[in-house]
Amino acid sequence: MLIAKVTGSLVATEKVGSMVGFKLLMVEPYRVDPKTQGGLVTTGRSMVAVDTIGAGEGELVLITQGSSARLTPETKNLPVDTVIIGIIDHVHVGQTCVYDKEGLAVQEG
Amino acid sequence: MFLARVIGSATSTVKHSSMEGWKLLLVKALQADGRTPEGDPILVVDSIGAGRGETVVITSDGIGTRELLKSNTSPVRWSVLGIRDE
Amino acid sequence: MRIGDVIGTVTLNRAHPSMIGARFKLVTPLSWDNLADRWDDRLEEIAVYDQLGAGIGSRIAISEGREAAMPFHPDPKPVDAYNAAILDTLNYELPEEQTS
Repeated sequence: MLIAKVTGSLVATEKVGSMVGFKLLMVEPYRVDPKTQGGLVTTGRSMVAVDTIGAGEGELVLITQGSSARLTPETKNLPVDTVIIGIIDHVHVGQTCVYDKEGLAVQEG
Repeated sequence: MFLARVIGSATSTVKHSSMEGWKLLLVKALQADGRTPEGDPILVVDSIGAGRGETVVITSDGIGTRELLKSNTSPVRWSVLGIRDE
Repeated sequence: MRIGDVIGTVTLNRAHPSMIGARFKLVTPLSWDNLADRWDDRLEEIAVYDQLGAGIGSRIAISEGREAAMPFHPDPKPVDAYNAAILDTLNYELPEEQTS
């Protein structure tokens, strides 16, 4: 799974029949700051994920990719490869908290 | 399937039950020149007894590996299919 | 399986029903450079589903992709990274050829 930030929602009126009624979100994978190891930074990549749990813009989420993305009752018949499986509360590196949902703060560096 | 060089080995006490009794090898997948690594270091299960420095054939067929380990819940995908004759 | 070092934890506020109670470790997968003790570059961290109780500093074997969900078979669980083993030892000798 990857840590990712929800950066927005996506509307596609024209879509394949099986996707009707599913919410699509834009997400950006995050990683530990390679320089400081002390915070989270964006990888710069972005992807589209199907949302099964009601994630909102600005939240950090966990995403599952590949064929495992279909291993939920909601997505098993969907042509999807990225699914949001949880909304993140805390991320710790060692004993240090680098993300706390309460503050919605991603400590940069 | 792909060729890989055996670089080392790993041991583990706390592991998925399907891996009990199996040897774990550290291997380096090789590009066409036979030297440049392809991808990151990987651990594979070995039933044949390959040793360090040998070139082995690796399969990424998880179904075959689960048959080898006699477990339909094993998380292991890669296993040694054979040792290339030198 | 790739090899990774456990560097932290990820906890969820709200989870898909199939993931409730799951424990996630933040793991840095290791490259050939890292095995040669060069740490200038680190691979992107991943969150790994852990049932073995790995701690910070544990070196583990990471099952990825579809195989990562096999331990839960026949229950479907959307897992793409799973801690398959906590390594006690990793013995290796890197050849002289380039390792990056």
